[in-house]
Amino acid sequence: MLQVENLRKSFADFKAVDGADLRVSQGDLVAVIGPNGAGKTTLFNLITGHLQPDKGRILFKGEDISHLPAHQVCRKGIARSFQIANIFPRLTVFRNVQVSVLSQKNLSRTLFRPAHRIMLEETRQILERVGLSDQQFAIAGSLSHGDKRILEIAIALGNEPELLILDEPTAGMSPDETAATMALVQRLAREQGLTILFCEHDMDVVFNVATSIMVMQQGKTILQAAPEEVRQNITVQEAYLGGA
Amino acid sequence: MESNLSLAALTSQLLVGLSRAMILFIVSSGLSFILGVLRVPNVAHGSLYMIGAFAAHTIATAFGESVAGFWLAMFCAPLIVAVISLVAERLLFCHLYEREHLMLLLFTFALMLILGDLTKMTWGADYRSIVAPPFLQGSVPVLGTAFPRYNLFLLLVGPLVAVGLWLLSTRTMFGKIARAAAVDREMVGAIGINVSWVFAFAFVLGCLLAGLGGALVSPTISITLGMDHSIIIEAFLIVTIGGLGNIWGAMVGSLIFGITQSVGVMVLPQFAIVFPYLAVVVILTLKPTGLLKSVW
Amino acid sequence: MIKDILRTPAFLWAAAVFLALLLVPLFAGRFYVYILAVVFVTGLLAMSLNLLVGHGGAYQFHHGVFYGVGAYTAGLILAKTSLPAWVGFCAGPLAAALTGLVIGAFCVRLNKLYFGMLQISLGSLIWIVALRWYSLTNGDDGIHGIPMPEPISGSVHAYYFLLVVVSACLALMYLILKSPFGATLRAVRDNPQRCEAVGISVRCHQLLGIVIATFFAGVAGVLFVVLEGSVFPDMLFWVFSLEIFIMCLLGGWFTFFGPMLGAAIMVALRTFVGSYTEYWTLILGVVLILLIFFLPEGIMGVNVRTWLRSRERRRSAGAVR
Repeated sequence: MLQVENLRKSFADFKAVDGADLRVSQGDLVAVIGPNGAGKTTLFNLITGHLQPDKGRILFKGEDISHLPAHQVCRKGIARSFQIANIFPRLTVFRNVQVSVLSQKNLSRTLFRPAHRIMLEETRQILERVGLSDQQFAIAGSLSHGDKRILEIAIALGNEPELLILDEPTAGMSPDETAATMALVQRLAREQGLTILFCEHDMDVVFNVATSIMVMQQGKTILQAAPEEVRQNITVQEAYLGGA
Repeated sequence: MESNLSLAALTSQLLVGLSRAMILFIVSSGLSFILGVLRVPNVAHGSLYMIGAFAAHTIATAFGESVAGFWLAMFCAPLIVAVISLVAERLLFCHLYEREHLMLLLFTFALMLILGDLTKMTWGADYRSIVAPPFLQGSVPVLGTAFPRYNLFLLLVGPLVAVGLWLLSTRTMFGKIARAAAVDREMVGAIGINVSWVFAFAFVLGCLLAGLGGALVSPTISITLGMDHSIIIEAFLIVTIGGLGNIWGAMVGSLIFGITQSVGVMVLPQFAIVFPYLAVVVILTLKPTGLLKSVW
Repeated sequence: MIKDILRTPAFLWAAAVFLALLLVPLFAGRFYVYILAVVFVTGLLAMSLNLLVGHGGAYQFHHGVFYGVGAYTAGLILAKTSLPAWVGFCAGPLAAALTGLVIGAFCVRLNKLYFGMLQISLGSLIWIVALRWYSLTNGDDGIHGIPMPEPISGSVHAYYFLLVVVSACLALMYLILKSPFGATLRAVRDNPQRCEAVGISVRCHQLLGIVIATFFAGVAGVLFVVLEGSVFPDMLFWVFSLEIFIMCLLGGWFTFFGPMLGAAIMVALRTFVGSYTEYWTLILGVVLILLIFFLPEGIMGVNVRTWLRSRERRRSAGAVR
């Protein structure tokens, strides 16, 4: 579904991504791992169109999306949640998700119909699916950290994506919250046939959930394979897992 | 004979434009410096320029328009402006550094309103002017035209200020810290430097330049109450086309402003003032972020 | 939708105020009627700016240009051509919106401060042209004695005309802000990066917002001409644009009616304080500083509940220590 070929991106002299390859097939749960500074977030920014690559290609369902701007990449069926909770702080939880839904249905430029009458069902469904229904009228900025991350995912779901990219979805969460979030992610993947690409530092999460793991270091892809293979690979062990 | 005349006229106009550009540069460089370090456009910059001019007049007349009086005015008027800006900064402005930039901009606007009326209260609405000392009066023959000595003086001062600022910005510790603080204030604070004082110094320096511009321009124009409004627009435009925060950009922008206006005077005298604005539109169409790189 | 609005307390307040305003000319002298009319025009202008600043998060620093373009277009058509008045009245807002579109197209390529500085630059060009093109615009003097059609000439008739038009515009603005576009605009204000990630083209929506806001600014310009019978290049002057900004801040830029309130206060201050002292701008500067330090969300933005809650928090924090 998604194919990244030899992607490169530099900022002045700093090579953030220096030859990254990635294959994501439909229905996969692919994890990208690597030490801090390996280029994972930059890679995600390149895929979703927030950055433009210097070299290499990104193919989505056969189409070259390498140089599309972010809002067009979204229309192709890729949605994303961010590493730092990137919500609309002054709007209510309901409105946060509704904005996304409105955008998806191309209604964001409608001028003369009331927003509180449109797309209510669709928004409520998403909130129910992620478990935020009881907080739908709270101001988004006042949510707990964990709930903000879930709201992140909910906003991404508003785009009816085929590929959902999650940037460190469990960062800063307690073990309980982590388990709950990943269970949610897996359930969403199953129920809605989503393909998921995420990056994580929590190795338990990665090895429990992922169907395929891509390892990055210093902007390069070292390896992409099934979890067992990755666990046993010596290069990966030395570079990242600390020789376990 | 005719070609000599037009060449003389051309040279004369260009030199006038260049001298005017030097005043614009001194004022805009201050604005650009503040913009570069504090990331805020100082709307009160024109008011400080105006106060510089009025203060210079007061000092010069207090000494009976003598040579000593003139130089004292050139030296002290900018200092007075610097003190005013320091007071405003330490009392009020510095408490706003944590706030969003829009608030800082609105504060400088409030300062402009207040300083404008304070100037009216102190000096009244009359037109004033001062006279340059004798050795700066009269003109010098340059390329077949009589070029005012005072304008020549300005042509020397301008580049001096430019070089001075550049050295300060790139060679001194303060300059390096200031540039770092513009980009990452928290980091600079984390390594133990009092960022608030860095900003204070930068703000006061920028305002001092505005005052200097006002003092230097006072022998060439009539000093009135509308000076703040007219110079601030020009300074803003110059800083925008030069690249926000870039001192050399301010120089380039000022030169463009001064020269296009001179060209305009020769081509279409009634609309001469429009020429710089047209140049601005052309430049911003092609390079919306300004000709030279912005500091951030 | 209409039924919902009719039921809200805000609408009942607005209706009450509207009725009260209808009755004002019966009781008040010409001077107060005139002042109120000035408030209507200025308020509409401030409300149109707030569409972009408070609800859109854009640094619209030279909004006055569009006000001036609307006024000059209408003024020139009425004064110098023999076209019927309604042509001028329609051409004003359209010209303003067109100018908004052109300048906006330049500005939305950039963000934040660059947006603002670029707008000041481009707007200043229009100002200088209006100031210097003496044969067309009378330059510094402005155009005076613009003829108005019979039904709306005279201060009382003008008052009613303005009241009706401004109320209609406010109603339209309210609908727009409550629409999906309004919600999207506020999302753009809060987090433009996130908007791009959910498929919203920030530029496109900002540009649409600019066209709408400048259209209403143009309407305000036309109304000024109706009220005063004149146009001045000062309307295009950048410092005036910053004053409109202050009106939005003063009243509360995250609320709907805030800017209108801010405009009312400004006009009242200028008229009544200005009659006592010529240093009215000094007082305005001081008021602005007080606002910045103590009331950054404006008068209507003061949320008494939040203030009480924060006082509780401060008390309990003190108790812990």
